[in-house]
Amino acid sequence: MKPARRMLDVVPAWLEAHRDAGRRSLQRRMQAPVLSLISIAVLGFILALPAYLWVLLDNARALSAHVDHDPRIALYLDGVEAATVADLERHLETDARVERWTWIDADDALATYREGMSDPGLLDWLDENPLPDVVDVVPATADPDTVAALREALAATAPDATVVSDDEWVRQLNSLHQLGLRILAVVGALLGLGALLILALATASELRERREEIAISRISGATHRFLRRPSLYGGLITGLGGGIFAGILLLIGIGLSRAPLEQAAAAFDLEFALGLPGASHLLTLLLAGLLLGWLGARLGSGHALRDAP
Amino acid sequence: MIHLQRVTKRFGSAGEALSNVSLRVDPGAMAFITGPSGAGKSTLLRLIAGLERPTRGRIRVNGHDLDRLSNRAIPGFRRSIGLVFQDHRLLFDRPVFDNVALPLEILAYRRPEMRKRVRAALDKVGLLHKETVNPRTLSAGEQQRVGIARAIVHRPVLLLADEPTGNLDPALSREILQLFDDFNRVGMTALIASHDLGLVERMGKPVLHLEDGRVEARAAGEGTA
Repeated sequence: MKPARRMLDVVPAWLEAHRDAGRRSLQRRMQAPVLSLISIAVLGFILALPAYLWVLLDNARALSAHVDHDPRIALYLDGVEAATVADLERHLETDARVERWTWIDADDALATYREGMSDPGLLDWLDENPLPDVVDVVPATADPDTVAALREALAATAPDATVVSDDEWVRQLNSLHQLGLRILAVVGALLGLGALLILALATASELRERREEIAISRISGATHRFLRRPSLYGGLITGLGGGIFAGILLLIGIGLSRAPLEQAAAAFDLEFALGLPGASHLLTLLLAGLLLGWLGARLGSGHALRDAP
Repeated sequence: MIHLQRVTKRFGSAGEALSNVSLRVDPGAMAFITGPSGAGKSTLLRLIAGLERPTRGRIRVNGHDLDRLSNRAIPGFRRSIGLVFQDHRLLFDRPVFDNVALPLEILAYRRPEMRKRVRAALDKVGLLHKETVNPRTLSAGEQQRVGIARAIVHRPVLLLADEPTGNLDPALSREILQLFDDFNRVGMTALIASHDLGLVERMGKPVLHLEDGRVEARAAGEGTA
């Protein structure tokens, strides 16, 4: 019975076996479309919720980047030596994180201050100019981590200077965003686990329906790998369908949330337009669907096939 | 080809289905197992096919020690065997062709070769014209012949049949046994369980008689074929 087959045939035969398993799996789904569609719908609903949160979070992050208030870093050069100031200037010229910077001379600052006073004569009481020279730095980005890193780098170049940044609001928004991401991760993990169990159960019950075929195949020498192959393709089909359905739900959900969210933002004097999910969101949904579908099928088939002789 | 040494199979508290059975079937031989239902014929065949493990004793089939065969090695071993059942065990969700092709699919044959072999097997059992129909629409005799085509399509070295003529009339039964004889002539070792003593004796092959899980050798003597 040793099949006299050439080694060259092994790969095409393997591909054909996979194609057959995939086709048979698809046919089985066409034969029971309602059950298959329910699986796809369940996965779609489960994926859509975290995806919706994710898109909202991404929008919130975009909001922090768009607000008309660039973070700034001020260096107060009180008692800083000329050599250090030269180092600092070199640093500011070369650091890519610096958008632009302005030198505010202490005398100029005092003059400006004097102009704004109703009784400039008061300043004559001072023995010397109390204002330091100041470097006003506009970072190239509002990203809080980058701003923080730039601030530290500048502080290291001019250790005697007092470095102050006004990105506190960015920090607050960022920590809220981090919290949101954490919630998203927890919700996503719990829902994903639930989806996994549902898909595993669906696979196990499908294998129960195939038990006669499986018994006959086993007698003919089928391996676990061979027997579970159609189930894995079934899982991928469900996963793909679930991912696509979740993407549609997400687009609808975001579409419906746009107007109320923009109104709410306007109430807080924020100009805000909710962006639609991007390609990366939709692609991630598809991949998450495929992964869950495959894992669920693997889990369910592993369990169902282990017991059989 | 088949060598059993003092094999006992016990199913829980139900007692011994087989007690101390010894048996030898040489390569290329054809032999029958007879006995009333419940005598242990099916259990014996299932042990030889590696579908059950013995409680005691040694089973050697086609060079494999079945009592020591790992789970991983079982599929490979089963591919060298063809099994025919009394109830055919065909899959009614696919046409005759796909039923017969199943062992070849498991062996990852390519389409053209698969088609050739399936058609040859169906031709052998006289059902080439039925390859596209659903086996549900076939008569009992035809269904059995599809089952036989499936058992031999991958050219196994050993053919095991459990009451292959159980549901068939005498004429059809003779026809089926003649098929087994034909396969045996081209080198396939065959072991066939049947309760139909008259039919078996007309074949003039060694017979192992089982009674209550014990061997009563007839014709072949000492349960050897």
